[in-house]
Amino acid sequence: MRTRTALAVAAAAIVALTAGCSSGGGGAGGDKADGPVSLKFLSLAWQKESIAANKQIVDEWNKANPNIKVEYVQGSWDNVNDQLVTSFEAGDPPDVIHDDSPALAGFASRGYLLDLTGKLPAELTGDIPKPAWDTVTFGDGKGGQGVYGVPFLQESQVLIGNKKLLDAAKVRIPTPDNPWTWDEFAEISKKLTKEGSFGVAWPLKSPVNKVLNLALNFGGTFFQVDGTKATVKVGPEEQEVMRRIHDQLYKDKSADPSALGMGTADPLPGFYAGKYALLPAGVYLRQQVVEQAPKDFEWITVPPLKGTSAEQGATSQTLSVAADSKYPDQAAKFISFFLNSANQAKLAKGDWLLPTSVKAASDPSMTTTENGWDVATASAKNLVVAPYLKVNGFDEWKSKVATPTLQQYFADKITLDQAAKTLVEEGNKVLERYNN
Amino acid sequence: MTLTAERTHRPAAGHRGGGRGGGWQRRETLMLMLPALVPVLVFSVGPLLYGIFLAFTDARSGRNAVTSFVGLSNFGDLLADGDFWASFRIGLVWAVSVTVLQFLASLGLALLLNENLRFRSFARVLALVPWAMPPVVIGLMWRLVYHPNAGILNSVLQDAGLLDHNVDWLNDFSLALPAVIVVGIWTGMPQTTVVLLAGLQNVPKELHEAGHMDGASTFRRFWSITLPQLRPVIVTITSLDFVWNINQFGLVYVLTQGGPGGQTRLPMLFAYEEAFRYGFFGYAATLGVAFVIVVLALLSIYIGRQMREAN
Repeated sequence: MRTRTALAVAAAAIVALTAGCSSGGGGAGGDKADGPVSLKFLSLAWQKESIAANKQIVDEWNKANPNIKVEYVQGSWDNVNDQLVTSFEAGDPPDVIHDDSPALAGFASRGYLLDLTGKLPAELTGDIPKPAWDTVTFGDGKGGQGVYGVPFLQESQVLIGNKKLLDAAKVRIPTPDNPWTWDEFAEISKKLTKEGSFGVAWPLKSPVNKVLNLALNFGGTFFQVDGTKATVKVGPEEQEVMRRIHDQLYKDKSADPSALGMGTADPLPGFYAGKYALLPAGVYLRQQVVEQAPKDFEWITVPPLKGTSAEQGATSQTLSVAADSKYPDQAAKFISFFLNSANQAKLAKGDWLLPTSVKAASDPSMTTTENGWDVATASAKNLVVAPYLKVNGFDEWKSKVATPTLQQYFADKITLDQAAKTLVEEGNKVLERYNN
Repeated sequence: MTLTAERTHRPAAGHRGGGRGGGWQRRETLMLMLPALVPVLVFSVGPLLYGIFLAFTDARSGRNAVTSFVGLSNFGDLLADGDFWASFRIGLVWAVSVTVLQFLASLGLALLLNENLRFRSFARVLALVPWAMPPVVIGLMWRLVYHPNAGILNSVLQDAGLLDHNVDWLNDFSLALPAVIVVGIWTGMPQTTVVLLAGLQNVPKELHEAGHMDGASTFRRFWSITLPQLRPVIVTITSLDFVWNINQFGLVYVLTQGGPGGQTRLPMLFAYEEAFRYGFFGYAATLGVAFVIVVLALLSIYIGRQMREAN
């Protein structure tokens, strides 16, 4: 028994030693680009077309670059951030990481991600406009700023409309150059409301991002950022969109209250059945409408609404490199290939989202009138960086304070003033932990 | 783990009592115990001590985070944290109601299975099925049952005319916790039933016969014979269930992730979120330590009183 234990201990020691050696060796090899290396790519693609597009691009890369082998690892949006924290802390994260900009802010300030400044070719950096780069530029937690990912897919909020009902009510069909204002939208929703059917359905199970992104229509930012210190602000600008949605539900009665607890895609069956004429949604929802709607169902994509402006808060899906990656240069090279304009068009099509690449956005498949692509792609010009992206602790504010408060406000359990007060007071308490 | 530790300790104590030539023999015993002790020390005692250590620091996630010793300030923050108390209250409601209802349901089932029914052994096997399923699978299964549009619960209730619209059980502020508690009861019933059944089979038949002869009713016999005889088993299984339930994580994580709006955020989910979502490792460790203390305190009161009454 004693010998066996001794043997086991020795074996464990050897394993530990060799592991140490190999990682040391790998670090040195990272500087030379010639040795064959292998990278792990954590992808969060989940729609069938999108997974296929991802895998196809990885295969193309592997064929063209036998020395930098990329291994596709499937992840899921549900738990990716927990999974990443664990693997970052353990020091063995995937090299190339697919995520979104709200998550990057926190990871960047904790030093988990590599600053990509100067590591990307001009061809890629020039192809993506500045507002998109703003969604991935964050403080590094030590007073500096860096670019912690490459933004590649963005989502804008549009409305999907039942064409027959809109035509029957003889409402003006808006265009990207002449969109509905919020006032017009309220009038039209009232007009579309008849017995047993509503003008609009607001699925607000996860209300926070939707409300905050739309609040920019009236200049509502929800946060004041002073250096690294952020405080919550809910003034008249912020309350405008909240109040207008609430009015549709309880004053105009043009929005179906039973849709409130639904997730974005849940009202679709009722929408096909004509129960609601308009459905506010991200552009990606068009995919489900195309796939599931009955054959004779006619629909249109309504461009984003306009308040004092048509600006919407945007976040991006991103590819980043882990700070602990042994082959950062190879990883950046892979990202540059993966997100070139041709590939971005493929990925955007697969996910029914908007590419950040200017060249990809002018691809014929992105501007066709079919399935509302022209309206969707045109809406990209309204996207500006969402102010909450720069707020440390936003995630905790969102889940502990904002989600329950907004849910209660839209369920008419508390007044607008009470909601605003809670969002600010409870919210600032949460943010305090992050502000030092 | 504690059980293993005790068991491995006991022979050592025995040898020490054995007296003569002790020194050499004791070393030999230690060497023999080592293979069993190492995993306990490395995988159980080590992390526990590390967790306790973390509770007194401001450890945060991040490569550039500096950890420093902060004494009791985490405990102070905890006592002043409204979210913690909300979670604590939810944890108590969950643990007490699951434990009590589970016990009552299991006792009924055990009494039934103890009778001389047809297909008794088959029924006993059936009662064990939930035990064979991992919590994650149970969670997924019940999520389908509770599904607002496609769930079997809504369709059954509507067919029976008890409901006129689909209810989103797991996302309703007031229904989510009860819905999760039902799943908790279902999940834990097999263990409790089996233990109670074993206890029931140890109740001497003669006592029942004697009671019968004296003209005691069925209920009277249950109340004055079965229950007192079962008492030690009941105390054991309810305390174990309570500890088990208050530390529940996987089931609720899969079912609701603590939602909606934190209505089902059990203490362990709260600690998990603090650590892995927001990155406050020190604070999360404090929560864990606080919970060990709370559970130990509650258990010692409960078991102490039961023992006193039994004597």
